Amino acid sequence: MQQKLTLFELSQKIKDALQSAVPATVWVVAEISELKENRNGHCYLELVEKEGNEIIARARATIWSYTYRILKPYFETTTGQYFTHGIKVLVQVSVEFHPAYGLSLNIKDIDPAYTVGDMALQRKEIIERIQDEGVFDMNRELKLPLVPQKIAVISSKTAAGYQDFLNQLDNNSSGIKFYTHLFEAWMQGSEAVPSIISALDRIFEYEDYFDAVAIIRGGGATADLSSFDNYDLAFHITQFPLPVVTGIGHEKDDTIIDLVAHTRMKTPTAVAEFFISGAELFYERLTGLEEEMVRITRERIDVKKEKLEEFAADLHQFVGGFINKKNRQLLKTGNHLHQQVNRFSFNKQYELNNLRHDLHAAFSVWKVETKNRIDSRKRILKRVVHESLLKETSGFNQLKGRLKHGSVRFLTKEQERMLRHENTIRLLNPENVLNRGYTLTLKEGRIVKSVVSIELNDEIETRFADGKVKSKITKKE
Amino acid sequence: MATKKVTYNEAVSEIEEILEKIESEELDVDELAEKVKRVSVLLKICKDKLLKTNEQVDQVLKEMEE
Repeated sequence: MQQKLTLFELSQKIKDALQSAVPATVWVVAEISELKENRNGHCYLELVEKEGNEIIARARATIWSYTYRILKPYFETTTGQYFTHGIKVLVQVSVEFHPAYGLSLNIKDIDPAYTVGDMALQRKEIIERIQDEGVFDMNRELKLPLVPQKIAVISSKTAAGYQDFLNQLDNNSSGIKFYTHLFEAWMQGSEAVPSIISALDRIFEYEDYFDAVAIIRGGGATADLSSFDNYDLAFHITQFPLPVVTGIGHEKDDTIIDLVAHTRMKTPTAVAEFFISGAELFYERLTGLEEEMVRITRERIDVKKEKLEEFAADLHQFVGGFINKKNRQLLKTGNHLHQQVNRFSFNKQYELNNLRHDLHAAFSVWKVETKNRIDSRKRILKRVVHESLLKETSGFNQLKGRLKHGSVRFLTKEQERMLRHENTIRLLNPENVLNRGYTLTLKEGRIVKSVVSIELNDEIETRFADGKVKSKITKKE
Repeated sequence: MATKKVTYNEAVSEIEEILEKIESEELDVDELAEKVKRVSVLLKICKDKLLKTNEQVDQVLKEMEE
């Protein structure tokens, strides 16, 4: 016959069996999958155990408020980790079974060392994974620009650390100008990882405008560093094209993002200092280069100047030497010339003298010869002239005799002829003729020699020795 | 103004190169003056970039979404 039990009776049996099977308290390893605090300060949780992603066990758990008030701060200060979902814990529990509410674990105590160890293990696993993927050093190997001047900041706007960071940058003693732009993100809690990744993605859009990324977080109260031991965030940082500098305000061991970041600083202020010192170093380098330039240039100029002075001295010497040399040459040439000229003129003088002698001798000979010739010619001429003179004189004398003789004769003859003519002329003179009784007839002033020219009634003039008469022709015979 | 876009790296490399040249090579005075002038220009560009606000950069950052 089958024994029948009521549900309560069954529950009671399970409770009894449970109590005998399980000690009053037991240490259990589990992962907190949910966590809620109610207003009375009690904490309600769900604990799970996973195999891969599959949940193989699940249980409700409670921490009564008087226990929770002590356990929570103890856990958080010891681990540096929020007491929240997603962490693995080792808790001391009593297994409660209530017929009306079922199985529940009441947490009495917690061992933070386990969580720390687990976190360390997780951390180690993440690091190993990143290393295995070969990306661990990728951001660290990026070259930080000579002057990280344009900085993308990931932080929360209200964080004290962010303000410190800005003040530090703006008031740097060298007066270097920095440019920042805030990409806001949650810096703690479960939202931190996705929100920081999203901020990185937004910065990626403006990659060319920035030199570096600063992830900063103020000191805050209790540190929640678990966000920064996250694989996804760490991976994003390794892949980021700009150098990432962290300043997430903790003194503990580096988080994974500190490890994979290009540079890890402890606080936001230290990050600002890091950028400033980089820029200042560059500024000093510039100043150094400037001084170097001045030094080298001065040195170069000094060398040139020295060389120039050397040249000037050399030139002076050279020119002096040159002039002396030329002077000597000139003098020598002058002497030589003088000598040559003397010799030449002497030679020429000698030749001239010779010529003169020759000329003189030739001239003397010529002169004597010429004189002789002239004398002989003269003598000849004289003789000829004398002879011809003699001849001419005798001819002349002869002619003179003849002329004298002829002239006398001619003159006598002519005298006789003249006398004869004189007589004739006297006889022939019309006056004498008239005197002898002859007349002269004229018609119109002309002598009339014939009657032909006279007409009847012509008036004619008849001249007599003692006068004249006029008559008229009356008759012509 | 191509010179305005010189990066710090390029500027410093060029300056160092020029200084080396000045130190190691026999430059005449004109070349020297030219080099010194170039170095001065590069130094000035770097210092201005370091110390003076670039309005353009400011503007771009202002326009970015947060």
